[in-house]
Amino acid sequence: MEEGGEAELREKLARAAQLLFFKHHAQPGARGWELKRALGRDYEKILQVLEEEVNKLGLTIRRVSEGEPENDRYFLTLKGHPTLTEARTFGWRIDDLAMLTVALAHLLAKGGKAPFKEVEGILEEKFPKFRVEPTLERFIRMGYLSEDEQGILYVGWRTRAEVDQRALLTLLLGREVRGEASQEEPSRSGGPSQSSPPPS
Amino acid sequence: MRRERRELLLRVIDLCESVRRNELDPFEVRVGEFLQRLRELLPKLRDLQDLYLDLQALVGLTEVILRQGEWIRHRSSLLYLDPLLISLKVQVMSPRELAEILVEAWHPTVELEALTLPALSEAKEYWTNLPPLEERRRELGEGGGGGGELPLEELQRMGILRREEFERLLTELWEELKRSAGEKGISYWRFISAPTFEETVRRAWLVSFLVSYGYAGMELKPLEDDLLLFPYSSPQRREESMSVPVSLSEEKWREKRGRGRRG
Repeated sequence: MEEGGEAELREKLARAAQLLFFKHHAQPGARGWELKRALGRDYEKILQVLEEEVNKLGLTIRRVSEGEPENDRYFLTLKGHPTLTEARTFGWRIDDLAMLTVALAHLLAKGGKAPFKEVEGILEEKFPKFRVEPTLERFIRMGYLSEDEQGILYVGWRTRAEVDQRALLTLLLGREVRGEASQEEPSRSGGPSQSSPPPS
Repeated sequence: MRRERRELLLRVIDLCESVRRNELDPFEVRVGEFLQRLRELLPKLRDLQDLYLDLQALVGLTEVILRQGEWIRHRSSLLYLDPLLISLKVQVMSPRELAEILVEAWHPTVELEALTLPALSEAKEYWTNLPPLEERRRELGEGGGGGGELPLEELQRMGILRREEFERLLTELWEELKRSAGEKGISYWRFISAPTFEETVRRAWLVSFLVSYGYAGMELKPLEDDLLLFPYSSPQRREESMSVPVSLSEEKWREKRGRGRRG
């Protein structure tokens, strides 16, 4: 009987991992009601066990609240953070990362929303004009930002899942300006599976 | 007297609307004073329209209070930072420093894409129904071999043109324009004209981006059937802009090319 229970738990763990790892439609992760349907009423307990398993791989389960608990979205994210060199291998340009920092910092300082034109104007003071609008549009498509019909930008679902907003602002204010010279790759922190970064 | 009452109600509604449209700081509205005035006014209102306006004003004031509450909650939260402070900090930091900040606060989502049985069956169906290449070429007719129109995003998606490559091309052309146009500008046709029609189209396409993004300006010369193209030393932000359709065919290219060589 106990063996049967363990086998069932293993099966549910595998199903939960599949639901969280694989992309469904356009978005990654799974909603509370999807997990409940696949794993049963105790889906949160299954997720706790899975959390322990994925922790060993340097991953963690993030929950983004969207009103009702069953509408909450669960994602698998890195427990720590990547290095800048790694981020570039994910297909990110330094300018794009910098633009997202500025856009998010401005939105967070303005209470989570600001007109698109205002954010665009701020970015155009620092980055080439012809890159700003397409990049903002891309951030919207990726889910880092969202825009309503009145042209107001908000912090998007992916930012809520992936970015530690408080840490972002603290780092921004706490960082001493180094200037263009002497810029070294900072070492990363976090997940147990992570090692020292390669020299840049 | 009645007119004054209505004016007061309309003024309150207007103020609340301004707050709603983010044009006015919610704390600029003296909510307490207005509520007191509305209370005094209510027993004197007889007209249905005045009563409706009174209701609208009251709803507007509640929304102002809601905005004030949001403002206080945000300011008292740990996430509150003065936007000016953020803006000053952002101005002095290099893009690399800004990128590092995001990366240190970033925990990217892990996501995998997988083939599913329905997707495989859909692909098989598509492949089975796809006519042979010969047949598709015939359908396209003579013009099929010619160049169609592909937007930049599509070219990037197909991996033909990378964003970095596009920016490099744009910067190179801007530098070339600055060198060849001088202060007086240069004829549009002379600038885009190249030994081959394809290259001319490519230059015209890139020039359209230079102009749209404010790196260059254009002046119409209707008598000379030409456009004057002049570069800006830095990108210009334009409040008003207009579109200039330019038709470019192989015949026109030959004609302009011939004239260019003669000139």
